[in-house]
Amino acid sequence: MFRIGYSNSEEFSMSSWLNSGSGKFFVQFTAVALFFILWQLGANFGFVSEFLIGTPLGIWNRFIATIIDRSLFIDTGYTLLEAVLGFALGTIIGTLLGLSLWYSKWAAQIVEPFIVAINSVPKIALAPIILLWFGTGLGAKVILVILTTAIIALIAAHQATKDCDKDLQSLLYSMGGSKHQIFFGVVVQSSLPAIVANFRINIGFGLVGAVVGEFITSKAGLGHMIYNASSLYDLNSVWVGLFTLMFVGFLLYYGIDALERFLFPWRTDTGRSHIQM
Amino acid sequence: MQIQLSIDSVNKSFPSKGGSLPVLNGLTFEVYEKDFVSIIGPSGCGKSTIFNIIAGLLEADSGDLIYRGQKVKSLRGKVGYMMQKDLLFPWLSVLDNVLLGLKVRGVDPKESHNTAREYLSRFGLSGFEKAYPQTLSGGMRQRVALIRTLVMDPEILLLDEPFSALDYQTRLYLEGFLLDAVATFEKTVILVTHDIDEAVALSKRVVALSGRPTSVKNIHQIEIERSSPIDARSHKNFGEYFHTLCSELDIQTQRSSA
Repeated sequence: MFRIGYSNSEEFSMSSWLNSGSGKFFVQFTAVALFFILWQLGANFGFVSEFLIGTPLGIWNRFIATIIDRSLFIDTGYTLLEAVLGFALGTIIGTLLGLSLWYSKWAAQIVEPFIVAINSVPKIALAPIILLWFGTGLGAKVILVILTTAIIALIAAHQATKDCDKDLQSLLYSMGGSKHQIFFGVVVQSSLPAIVANFRINIGFGLVGAVVGEFITSKAGLGHMIYNASSLYDLNSVWVGLFTLMFVGFLLYYGIDALERFLFPWRTDTGRSHIQM
Repeated sequence: MQIQLSIDSVNKSFPSKGGSLPVLNGLTFEVYEKDFVSIIGPSGCGKSTIFNIIAGLLEADSGDLIYRGQKVKSLRGKVGYMMQKDLLFPWLSVLDNVLLGLKVRGVDPKESHNTAREYLSRFGLSGFEKAYPQTLSGGMRQRVALIRTLVMDPEILLLDEPFSALDYQTRLYLEGFLLDAVATFEKTVILVTHDIDEAVALSKRVVALSGRPTSVKNIHQIEIERSSPIDARSHKNFGEYFHTLCSELDIQTQRSSA
């Protein structure tokens, strides 16, 4: 550390500002802005091929155009609907099955290798068959998303019930609690945080399922937009689609964050998860 | 004195790598009405196994539990089980944790709320009803766990090293708290502890167990008039009982020459 030329207090206030919320945002914003500026300059001076990579200004123009003709909203709406509807149904089905496996150790042991087997197939690989069976509409993509998310939700829920504190179950049992009371009073309650935490991963898979489904066959959606544009070498439109997807994923992630804080007020973050080094 | 519970030649073994491992070997002792019995023994001798059998979490291989003259399978639902871990449900408030046993039993919510609040205020926890366990200190959490055990009005309290995770001051405080509660509500207590000092200070009788496979080695009457656990520790007989029990457990107090 060289302090020559800086007064102590000046250096201190700079680092503390960078540590504050607005300071961190400034660093993040600057990094993104710098990235786009360099990209644009690179394209202007011919270091970057505008044809193969696109340019930030071109992307911006496409973005405005798709907003004006409303196609961006329609495409986003489609993809979001497929992803969220499929995710919700898949999560509910998977979670209910996963939780209910707690009831019968025998059933769980029978089913376990099948779950592992099904899980080891990339569900996306089923997309062509699903679209063959269920057509090109919205329903087929929802089913594809259900398939990708349900098995993950099932595994997460099943694992969470296995991780449930045995002593809490014993306590309720010694009080005279029935199997139902133990299931709803302990097992489900203690599994919920792990189940909801898994939503973050699963909502991402939901988007994957929706977009891949749209790649194969579709009339609308962000996947449709990206696929069509790239086959026309319209890279700027591809980027509009990708950035919109990123934005949607981002919102969904933080939506789940908010849901967690709302559902589990008892899991207050004490800020002690990091030690000071 | 009237016998409340007899444990009669109970055997229990657990499956292990080399066949089965006998843990309890013809364990027999009696618990009187309003008794305070401590069970001490070398570590790993199956003290918790006894509790698990009484509470119905394990089944004995053979032997009987006789409760007030009747042979029973277990005392599940009649006991208040408390362990070293407070086992408070992190997602429930203090009040809801206390209400747990009453809810399981299906007591009218209004009635049980009143009872719970009464217990909480009697034991100095009013104002914490809505707090989550995570925000309480270890001593307070264990106090909530004890209230949860008492509020169910169990016929026997099974306390499995309930204070051993606490610091000494908190522990003395909670021991006093326990003695008061037991006197007020006229409860029968079976306390498992590895702490001879605690066993002598709290109990009317101490059951000393042998090492595995476990049977009862000796039962000691503790003749100490006590008003508090601190009092009991300064009683003239305390030292003698302490020594007797230490030698019972073969505790080496001198460095062996080996």
